[in-house]
Amino acid sequence: MGLKLNFNLDPRTKIIILAVLSFMVFNDASLYVSSILVLIPCICLFFSNHKKSAAIYVACYILAKLIQIYILPNATGFMAIVLITFSYTVSRMLPILMMGYYTISTTKVSEFIASMENSSIPRSIVIPVSVVFRYIPSLIEEIRSLTNAMKMRGFGLNVKSLKNPLKLIEFYMVPMLISAVKTADELSAASLTRGLSNPEPRTHLIEVELTKMDYTFLAITCIGFGIYAYNFLRGVLIA
Amino acid sequence: MLKMEDVSFAYENNDSGRNLTDINLSVDKGEVILLCGESGCGKTTITRFLNGLIPNFFNGNREGNVYLKNESISEMPIYEISRHMGSVFQNPKTQFFNVDTTSELVFGCENLSMSVDEIKKRLDSVVKDFNITHLLDKNIFKLSGGEKQKIACASVSAVFPDILVLDEPSSNLDSQSSWDFEEIIKKWKQQGKTVIIAEHKLFFLSDVVDRVIFLENGKIAKEWSIEEFKNIDHRSFGLRQIDLDNLTCKRNEYYSQNREFLQLRNFKFRYGDTQVLDIDDVKIPKNEIIAVIGKNGAGKSTFANCLCGLKKSCKGELICDGAVLNRKDRLKKTYMVMQDVNHQLFTESVLDEVLLSMDEEDVNLAEDILENLNLIHLKDAHPMALSGGEKQRVAIASAIASKKEILIFDEPTSGLDLKNMMRVSENLKYLQNLGITSFIITHDFELICESCSHIIHLDDGKIIDNYNVDDKKLRDFFLNQ
Amino acid sequence: MSERLNVKDLITVGIFSVIIIVLIFIFGMLGYIPMVMLALPILAALICGIPYMLFLTRVSKFGMVTLLGVIIGIVMFLSGHTWVPIVTFTVCALIADIILKMGNYSSIKNSIISHGVFILGIMGNMLPFFILRDAYMSAMRASMGNDYVNVIAPYLQTNFLIVLIILTFIAGLISAYIGKIVLKKHFERAGIA
Repeated sequence: MGLKLNFNLDPRTKIIILAVLSFMVFNDASLYVSSILVLIPCICLFFSNHKKSAAIYVACYILAKLIQIYILPNATGFMAIVLITFSYTVSRMLPILMMGYYTISTTKVSEFIASMENSSIPRSIVIPVSVVFRYIPSLIEEIRSLTNAMKMRGFGLNVKSLKNPLKLIEFYMVPMLISAVKTADELSAASLTRGLSNPEPRTHLIEVELTKMDYTFLAITCIGFGIYAYNFLRGVLIA
Repeated sequence: MLKMEDVSFAYENNDSGRNLTDINLSVDKGEVILLCGESGCGKTTITRFLNGLIPNFFNGNREGNVYLKNESISEMPIYEISRHMGSVFQNPKTQFFNVDTTSELVFGCENLSMSVDEIKKRLDSVVKDFNITHLLDKNIFKLSGGEKQKIACASVSAVFPDILVLDEPSSNLDSQSSWDFEEIIKKWKQQGKTVIIAEHKLFFLSDVVDRVIFLENGKIAKEWSIEEFKNIDHRSFGLRQIDLDNLTCKRNEYYSQNREFLQLRNFKFRYGDTQVLDIDDVKIPKNEIIAVIGKNGAGKSTFANCLCGLKKSCKGELICDGAVLNRKDRLKKTYMVMQDVNHQLFTESVLDEVLLSMDEEDVNLAEDILENLNLIHLKDAHPMALSGGEKQRVAIASAIASKKEILIFDEPTSGLDLKNMMRVSENLKYLQNLGITSFIITHDFELICESCSHIIHLDDGKIIDNYNVDDKKLRDFFLNQ
Repeated sequence: MSERLNVKDLITVGIFSVIIIVLIFIFGMLGYIPMVMLALPILAALICGIPYMLFLTRVSKFGMVTLLGVIIGIVMFLSGHTWVPIVTFTVCALIADIILKMGNYSSIKNSIISHGVFILGIMGNMLPFFILRDAYMSAMRASMGNDYVNVIAPYLQTNFLIVLIILTFIAGLISAYIGKIVLKKHFERAGIA
C-alpha cells in the first residue's frame, strides 16, 4: 500500500478525455496516430488497480488491429462478417468503453457530485445523476432477487417460460416498477428531511481540484487529438 | 419543545375517515417518547407531522397546529425544520442518498451549507460518539442491517439536531443490533436531545423511554409513564412484550409422532475466499416448525438459498423420505417466502397467483386454499394492493398450490405488530397440519415461543447447535447483550 | 402547480432513468449478435413503453420528460457510448415534452405519440452500426463483387436509416399502448398510478 502511486484524476478530466475519445470512433485513423488516444485509458486503468483490465484491453486491441491488417483483406463470407464485427467493435468502440469503465469504477459518487456542482451544473441535473448512481446497485440486486423468486416457481430458462416471453417480461417488469415508484417516494421523503431542498448552494467535504496530473493528461489528450484532427482534415481536403 | 394542538389529518385519496383525530401532545426537552399501537393506528402519521413531511411531502386535509420551539411548523420550509430535527426511517434500503458511508454521514451538513471545517469537526465527533471508525468509506449497500441503521442514526446526528424522530427504526435489526440501538438512544438522551420513537418491537426500549403514548384508530387512547407501562398487560392492548424475560416456549413437544428426519449433507458455500456455509451432515426433525437463529452474517440467508437450490455452486444434498434430492430437485420441493415478499408476486389477481403455481389449473382447489388462509374475499384484488401480512399469505398460498414440502421464511415478522405476528404463527401451524416442514429465519423471540419446536443455531456458517426448544438456551441467545 | 421541478420530481427522474437505461443495456447486449443489432432500437422501443407510461403518471409539469432524456444521454455518455446519445436523447425528449404539453399532460393520444418520439433518442446508440457499415460494405465488395454492393449500398445508407426510424417510432407507439394497458391492469389496481 505504502508504495502505491496516488493516482487519481479529477472527474472533470475524465469526462473531457471521454468526450475527446468519442471523436475517435467516427473515423478510422492510422495506427500510429490513434495509438496515443488508445493508450490513455490503458494507462489510467493500469495505475488505478485495474491492471488486469488494462492488459486484456491492450491485448484485445492489438489482436483486433492484427486481424484488420493481416486477415481481413483475405477473409470472405460469413467469417468476414464475424471478424469485422469483432475487430471494428474492439478497435473503435473499446477505447471509449474502457474509458467509461474507468470513469465509472474509479469515481466516487460524492466526488462526482462535488465536481459537477463546482462547475455550476444545475441541481436539476446533479440530483438525478446522483440518484442514478445510487439506484443502479439496488436495481441489480432487485433483478437478482426477482430471478430467484421466479426460479422457485418454475420460471427460468426453461420451456414453460420461453413459451410465453411476454409473460416473463411482465413478471419482471411489474414488481420492478412498483418497487421503483416506492423507492422514489421513500428516497424523496428521506432526502427532504435531510435538507436537500435547501436553495442555498451545497458545500462539499470532498475537495476537488485539478492537479498537475490532470493537466498532464489533458495536455496529452489535446496533443493526441490535435494530430488526429489534423490527419483527418488533411484526409478530407485531399479527398 | 414540541407541541401538537388539536391536530387532525386525512391523507388525500383516503375515503375511510381520518387518519388522525384531535391529537394533543406536548413533549419537553430531553424526553424520550414511545408511540405505540397496532399497524395503521397513526404512529407514522404523527412522525410525519413532526418532521415536516406533512404538509411538505404528503398532501391531505389537515387541521390544528404543530409548534417547534413555539414556532408553527407548517410555516417553515422543510429544510429549516431539518436543522432542528433528524429523522430515521424503517427501510434502510431507501433512506440513503449516497453510495459510500462517509458521504452519507455528511450529506445533511452539506445540504445545509455548513462550512467544510465545521463539517469535518462534526464528522469526527459523530464517528467518535457512535464508534464507527471501521465503517468509514465503505459501500453502504454491503453493510449489515444493524450497521446501516447505525450509519442512518449517525448521519442525522451530524446535523446536531435537538429532536430525533424515529419511525420503526428497528424493524430490520437482529436482537444484538437492537440492543446497540438502545445504546444510541441512551447517548442521545445523555446529550439532552428529545427523542420520539414509533415502534412495534419494544423489548430494547424499557430502560430508555420516559413516556408511552398508545394510539388507537388515530386517537391518543392512553398515556403511561414507563413504570406504569411495564406493569400493564401488553397483550390486551395488542402490543409486543417489553420484557422478554417473561417469555416461555409453548411448543416443547415435537408435533410429529413418528419422528422422521430430514438429512442435510455437504451444504457448503464459498463467497470469494470466505466459507460462508459449512455443514457436513445434520439431521433435522421433519414436519416441525424450525427456527434458524444466529447473528447477522452467520450465514442464515446463504443457508436458506442453498436449501432452496438457488446457489449453483452448493453441491449439498437433502435426504427426505429416503430420496436424495439434489439442487434441481430441491427447487421443485422447496419454497422461500422472502423478506421482501413484493418480489415474488407477479400476476394481476390473488387467484391468478395461486393458479400460476399449479401444474394444472384447478379453480376449486385454489379457492379452497384461499379460503383456508382467509384470503377468499380478496381473490380478485391485485396482490400489490394488499397489506404486508396479506401478501405473505398469498405467497404461502402459491407455495401450497405448487405442492411444496419445505417452506423457508425469511424474517416473516419483521415490522409486524402483535396481531399480525400471531397470524403468522397461525399460518405456520396450518402449514404443519398439511405436513409441511417450515424453516424460519428469525430474530423474533416471541414468534419462536409461539410456534417453533426446534432450533438450528448458526454461527460462522456452521451449525453450532441443533436442539429441541429450550428456554434457557434461547434466553441466553436473545437476552445476552 | 408550480412550474419548477422539486426534489421529488428530480429523484423520480433519476429512478426512471435507471430503469430505462438498464432495460436498454440488457437488450443492448443482444446487439452484439450482428444482425440483431439492426433491430436494437426496435426492441428497445418495444420494451420501454411500460416504464415510460408509468413515469408519465408522475409528470405534470414541463421539463421532467426533457430531463429524463438528458440524464439518460449523460449516463450513456459516461458508460462509453460517445456524446451522440446526449444530443439525440435531449432533442427527442424535448419534442416529446412539447407534445405532452400540447395535450396538457393528460391526453392519452399525446402520451403515446410522445413515447414514439422520445424513444427515437436511442438512434444515438446506433453509432457502432454506422461504423461497421463501411467495413461490411468493403468486405462484401471483396466477396460478392462491385455490382452487388452498388445495388444494395444506397439502401444501407439513408433509406435504411429512415426505415429504421419509422419502425422504431411505430414500435414506440405500440409499446406505449401496451404500457397503457399494463398501467390499467396492474399499476392502477395496485394503487400506485
